Amino acid sequence: MTPNGWLQIAVFFVLVLVAAKPMGLYMAQVYERKKTWLDPVLGPVERLLYRMTGVDADAEMGWMEYGAAMLIFSLATLLLTYVIERLQHAIPLWNPQHLAAVEPYLAWNTAASFTTNTNWQAYVPEQTMSYLTEMVGLATHNFWSAATGMALAIAFIRGIARRESKKLGNFWVDLTRGTLWVLLPICVVYALALVSQGVVQNLKPYDTATLVEPQSSTTTGTDGKPITTAVTTQTIAQGPAASQEAIKMLGTNGGGFFNANSSHPYENPTPLSNLLEMFSIFLIPAGLCVTLGQITGTPKHGWAVFAAMSILWFAGVATCYWAESQPNPLLHGVDQHVAAAGVSPGGNMEGKEVRFGIANSALFVTVTTDASCGAVNAMHDSLMPLGGLVPISNIHLGEIIFGGVGAGMYGMLIFVILTVFIAGLMVGRTPEYLGKKVEAYDVQMSMLYFLIFPVVILGFSAISVLAPFGLSSLSNHGPHGLSQILYAYTSAAGNNGSAFAGLNANTHWYNSTLGITMLAGRFLMIVPMLAVAGNLATKKIVPPSLGTFPVTSSLFTVLLVGVIVIVGALTFFPVLSLGPILEHLLLRSGISFS
Amino acid sequence: MSDIAFLSASLVFFFVAILYVYGCQSLKGGHKDA
Repeated sequence: MTPNGWLQIAVFFVLVLVAAKPMGLYMAQVYERKKTWLDPVLGPVERLLYRMTGVDADAEMGWMEYGAAMLIFSLATLLLTYVIERLQHAIPLWNPQHLAAVEPYLAWNTAASFTTNTNWQAYVPEQTMSYLTEMVGLATHNFWSAATGMALAIAFIRGIARRESKKLGNFWVDLTRGTLWVLLPICVVYALALVSQGVVQNLKPYDTATLVEPQSSTTTGTDGKPITTAVTTQTIAQGPAASQEAIKMLGTNGGGFFNANSSHPYENPTPLSNLLEMFSIFLIPAGLCVTLGQITGTPKHGWAVFAAMSILWFAGVATCYWAESQPNPLLHGVDQHVAAAGVSPGGNMEGKEVRFGIANSALFVTVTTDASCGAVNAMHDSLMPLGGLVPISNIHLGEIIFGGVGAGMYGMLIFVILTVFIAGLMVGRTPEYLGKKVEAYDVQMSMLYFLIFPVVILGFSAISVLAPFGLSSLSNHGPHGLSQILYAYTSAAGNNGSAFAGLNANTHWYNSTLGITMLAGRFLMIVPMLAVAGNLATKKIVPPSLGTFPVTSSLFTVLLVGVIVIVGALTFFPVLSLGPILEHLLLRSGISFS
Repeated sequence: MSDIAFLSASLVFFFVAILYVYGCQSLKGGHKDA
């Protein structure tokens, strides 16, 4: 670890801290339908959209109607993406490489993945998806799924703020305003900034370059004999990457335009683009803390939640940075720099870009899994065992450390409900949250929310580690193999999308079960969350008394962090002890698995 | 054939999710919150 590395991490956090308030206040204005400076341009577009779709913008919805609208919208967009993928070869538009139709298992997995904001990719994008599929099938989903998550978070916040109301807002209005006022304007500017750094944006066929130094490649033929091929040219993929990259990061989607994701020089060319990409992952989730405080009329509560998120973020990045700064114990005695010195970054540089180094890789790893982004600028499969423990634990905690756009906020608010419930039990009083009594139904729905997550992760992981069709996809055995499978289902259920890439997930078993996991991890958790919001909205406000637990204090922040860590640890520690923790201990004893 | 299977599976999942909405609401009836 170096002072320079820590300074870069600090600069990142200061940027997030400074941007949170203006972003949060702006979103509060947008969702409360107050005046903004973009109204003269976007107002007519919004009204036209409502007129075309027959939406009554003033008609509000109860939680069930809000949830049903969200589900129907998600189903329709999932089917649209599936059809585009299957027909891309037949559409004579933006397919200069003449890519074939995506096969059904993969097409469904991808449609489920992008609908749920997961953006898990069991394919190589530049060899699989036409430009049309990328733009119309996938990039649009990046906007829709992000705007859906934001709308749901706002619905929950309204549930807290409203008194004796059965309404949470209008899903179609929230979806439209989130897309038009928040995501689109930022993405236009952001995409241009990325182009200025060297991210490509075109519809050209792929380039072919002649290698300065011809290479040779040796493979094994069907007869078992080696075949050596001279390689003199390289194909350089092109495409509309910048426009997709912007929403990929801002919407915490994470699906790369290229297979190498944000370690590809056409997606993330410079240290500045790297900083921008990490910053944009946290921008909306951090702002939503301020939005929470603004709409509920308790700004200090928003900052208390922000503080809890920041503490957990720092714990993650410090652990990952420390772990990756250590050399692999198996390399002891090998002539290498084990500590940062001169131009050598030291530590574990396997799977990392030299231009980003250890600090910016560790920070990216932490940020992308704190949120439900899943973009990567380093290969998570190559992290040291304890370095790899950080991203998987971040997702296990529910991606509430700033979290996915919207999803992080409503996930965190469910933890807040649980925290005030536990605090109420401690003092023997009916728990209250911002004047609303937290009662049996609220806790029941919150526990349903918490239970779905481990059930799908641990259930499918258990089957996969026992069955040949699960084990045959592994590139490593022993505890690292378990980590690969566990990470895949964790990433899918958490709608993250990053991977321990050693697992070949493009099989019928993984494509179908990971697709189910993504859908369950998104929609089966949203429904009880909305039920809590709907129930809270109907309640009266109880005046604070001496027994009221203040949710604006540092004690609340500490208790909230404690509840998150304990719930996460109790649920997943046993399986983590058999995966990354055991791998760490064995590696220190000189034992590894191929 | 696979296309029909996957499209049907998607419809079934979201149909079940809608039923789940009603299921969550019906649980409320069993509680007598103060």
